[in-house]
Amino acid sequence: MKQRARQIKYGIVIDGSRCIDCKACMIACKVENNVPEGLWRNWIRPLMIESSTQKSEFQPGQCMQCDQPSCVAACPVGATYKQTHGLVAIDPAKCIGCGNCISACPYGARYRDPVKKIADKCDFCQRRLERGEEPACVVTCPTKTRSFGDLNDPTSEVGRMVRKDNLVRIIAPHFNTHPNIFYHDGTNLLDWANEPVMPGNVHMPPEFWKAGNQTI
Amino acid sequence: MTIPGRSNITRRGLIKLSGAAAAAASINGPARILHALVSAKETGAEAKTQEMFSACDMCFNKCGLIARVENGVIKKLDPNPNSLKSRGMLCARGNAGIKQLYDPDRLKYPLLRKGGRGEGKWQRLSWDQALDHAAEQMQRIGETYTRCGFLFMAGTDMQSTFVHRFAEAYGSYNIISHESNCLLSRNRAFLDTFGVVPTPDVLNSKYIIMPGANRFEALVTPDSMDLMTAMQSGCKLVVLDPRFTKTAALADEWYAIKPGTDLAFFLAIAHVLIREKLYDKKFVAQKTNGFEAFKAHVEQYTPEWAAGETEIPAQDIRRIARELAAAAPAAMVYPGRRSSDYKNSTQIRRSFAIVNALIGNWDRKGGLIVPKKINTGSIYHDAPFYDDNPEDRVDAGRAQMMFDEEGSFKHTRDAVIEGRPYPVKGWLTYKTNPMQTGANRNKTMEMIDKLDFMLSVDIVMSDTAWLADMVLPAPSYLERKDPISAFLASSSCSGVITRDPIVPAMFESKPVFWVVKELAKRLDLSASFDFSIEDFRKAQLEKLPEVAAALRQDGVYNITGPSYGIHEGKPFKTLSKKIEIYNPRYVKKGVDPMPVYHPPQEVPPNRFRMVVGRNAFITQSASTNNALLWQLQNENCLWIHPQPAAALGIEHEDLVEVSSPAGSGRLKARVTKETRPDTVYMDTGFGVVSKGLSNIYGKGACIAEVLEDHADRISGNMAMHETFVRIQKI
Repeated sequence: MKQRARQIKYGIVIDGSRCIDCKACMIACKVENNVPEGLWRNWIRPLMIESSTQKSEFQPGQCMQCDQPSCVAACPVGATYKQTHGLVAIDPAKCIGCGNCISACPYGARYRDPVKKIADKCDFCQRRLERGEEPACVVTCPTKTRSFGDLNDPTSEVGRMVRKDNLVRIIAPHFNTHPNIFYHDGTNLLDWANEPVMPGNVHMPPEFWKAGNQTI
Repeated sequence: MTIPGRSNITRRGLIKLSGAAAAAASINGPARILHALVSAKETGAEAKTQEMFSACDMCFNKCGLIARVENGVIKKLDPNPNSLKSRGMLCARGNAGIKQLYDPDRLKYPLLRKGGRGEGKWQRLSWDQALDHAAEQMQRIGETYTRCGFLFMAGTDMQSTFVHRFAEAYGSYNIISHESNCLLSRNRAFLDTFGVVPTPDVLNSKYIIMPGANRFEALVTPDSMDLMTAMQSGCKLVVLDPRFTKTAALADEWYAIKPGTDLAFFLAIAHVLIREKLYDKKFVAQKTNGFEAFKAHVEQYTPEWAAGETEIPAQDIRRIARELAAAAPAAMVYPGRRSSDYKNSTQIRRSFAIVNALIGNWDRKGGLIVPKKINTGSIYHDAPFYDDNPEDRVDAGRAQMMFDEEGSFKHTRDAVIEGRPYPVKGWLTYKTNPMQTGANRNKTMEMIDKLDFMLSVDIVMSDTAWLADMVLPAPSYLERKDPISAFLASSSCSGVITRDPIVPAMFESKPVFWVVKELAKRLDLSASFDFSIEDFRKAQLEKLPEVAAALRQDGVYNITGPSYGIHEGKPFKTLSKKIEIYNPRYVKKGVDPMPVYHPPQEVPPNRFRMVVGRNAFITQSASTNNALLWQLQNENCLWIHPQPAAALGIEHEDLVEVSSPAGSGRLKARVTKETRPDTVYMDTGFGVVSKGLSNIYGKGACIAEVLEDHADRISGNMAMHETFVRIQKI
């Protein structure tokens, strides 16, 4: 495939108003990816409003496969890197398990695998993608909260949504890692991303330091 | 996604493959397994992958699934997009099904109790020894106490039909199921109003009042998904629930109704509909019986009166009635599923049914519908007649209008304990766990103590199996061949599904079909089991070749086409041939022909009403020990409102004791505004007695121990919201 084709960039658009907090995505991910006991690659963040008329909200999330990933910058050995198709990947052979990338992630999306002793996280079910299947969390969802696809393809559902719909991104107060998970506008859970904790010797490009506009 | 046919891989091949996988695992040490995560393509050892259809069995819904099998091991269960009922989804429990199969806690071989009941001392038996012993006990009990001296109870399972068949052949009328701990009063109410139990067309509805039901947690397919789809298209959801469930959290309006007063709410809704002439006059005139009497009856039930009972403002009741009528007929009072709550739970559900009748949503898009269902064939048998048998079921006469074919767990248990009207000394349970799901656990233990012989067939050592005399290991749904099963599926109409083994049965587990067939052989009842599952399926599908083809091709057969507007002009299967707002049969039975409101018992001072429910990732006691689901919740806790908690000096996560006259338990407090100050709640499925459930043994408390066993007067369904508990900080 050497022809000058448009680069694929996978992303997920999440309609938080559809999520019922059933945890199907979390168990599906765990089985698909053999995630160790007590650890999770994805989550559902609740906003419970005990009101008779105001709706609560459940907001799913996972690694945002950022375009300006602080985790990649924080890795001292180049084990975590921006791969083809926009995915942030971890090379298990290179990872030394130092944990820098874990504190560098504004979303808490990474964990240290207690068995493999390396960092791990959501990879949009890369092995499923290779088989032509969508990520396990996307497929299994009862209310189809997540839409998955190539953000660069204007004919894809996510491509259309990114261009036409009012979407927002969740961004840390002073840093913009340019995440590739988008939320339908109206989500009330926008302020939960943490400041990345970067190793002292890491210097990030200027676009990283701008708290980007959450709407796109 | 393309799915290769089942025939691609033989049973023999599977065994060989799984053997090879096991060998490979033992050669590579654990340290190297890390590198086994590199894709097979890179290591050059391409895994042999198969994808096979099946139907989930983690709850009763039978959602379509596709199992991915690599080298004979099931690696992942994904939704079958062809299943219209499950709308291409698999919930958390469905995904965790893999750990029902690969579970070190599974029963592995037949066991005979050696110590006292519940001591956990077992002797391993061969299948022949076990079956010979069980048959001997059944023969002896049948001869000594009549055939009705043996009780049969099978859970919701595609093979339970064979347990019922075996009970018939053996000659006992005493067959019960889980349903009398669940939904019988709802069935009673809708059957006694419409002559049939309808399903709700949630997908097309524009206005839904959901009293008590928790459809975003207690998942029912397709209703749970259709509710979200409907809401996204503008359907309004009004939830009445003393708890702030996730359904309440996502509703347009939530009312923390005073528990036990739903009947007052719906009588007042009826009052407004009639007084303001908002009901469907033509429909009511043509299709209902007793409207004039009902009109006079509800005159007294004003919204102002109901506000005092329900603690829902009168203007809201009035507005909701108007909104419901405005959206009709694409509007409904959702019938719900579990209705085992109050002593008048049938009458409460009658009020739901009557309001639906008033707005004329019968057989209409977005209303209550009765989709077409496939009628599968069967292999009929002549059950022997035993002339020394008693006249009737052992629980007969204990409720006003019990379902003969279902009976009542509560009343049967009482009858066994009392030994009246005749002794019952044997019990066979299959994949059902009344020790956890039947209120008043101590009484269940008392019942078991009265027995000479109790046999449990299950996948794991449930609390019920733990108390049995003999326990037989059953395979999970991923390891067995099941008969064909036809189901109703609300808005998506209905369908047919089946199961073939995806992997061979593990350990010495045997399907219950094989167990009862072998018992039948030993009891000289073989004539009733002169067939294989394959023969049975053939008989089921004899006149339905298209179903067999669809099952092979798509893993499911969907009946599509309109599921509403298909019963026009047909008489209702009731005494009056109309919808019975007024039920003349009830009069004959001494039952109020129209629902009459009696206020629930007030919660006594320093007590709380306990209510029952569940979340989306546990199926009561059947899944709490699952190694994946357990990671979401490894104990239950007591939901208590901050106000009474403060008065009792209880802080979040404090250990508390919850007690009632039935029993007590200790668990952590969850101090939360998600329940009313007078109402407490805890999840089912914890506080187990079985040490065979290693993940949850010693965790949380058992709600069945604390709940008193009241019953719905009409149906005999368990009434589980009638218990007042005391809470104490430990």
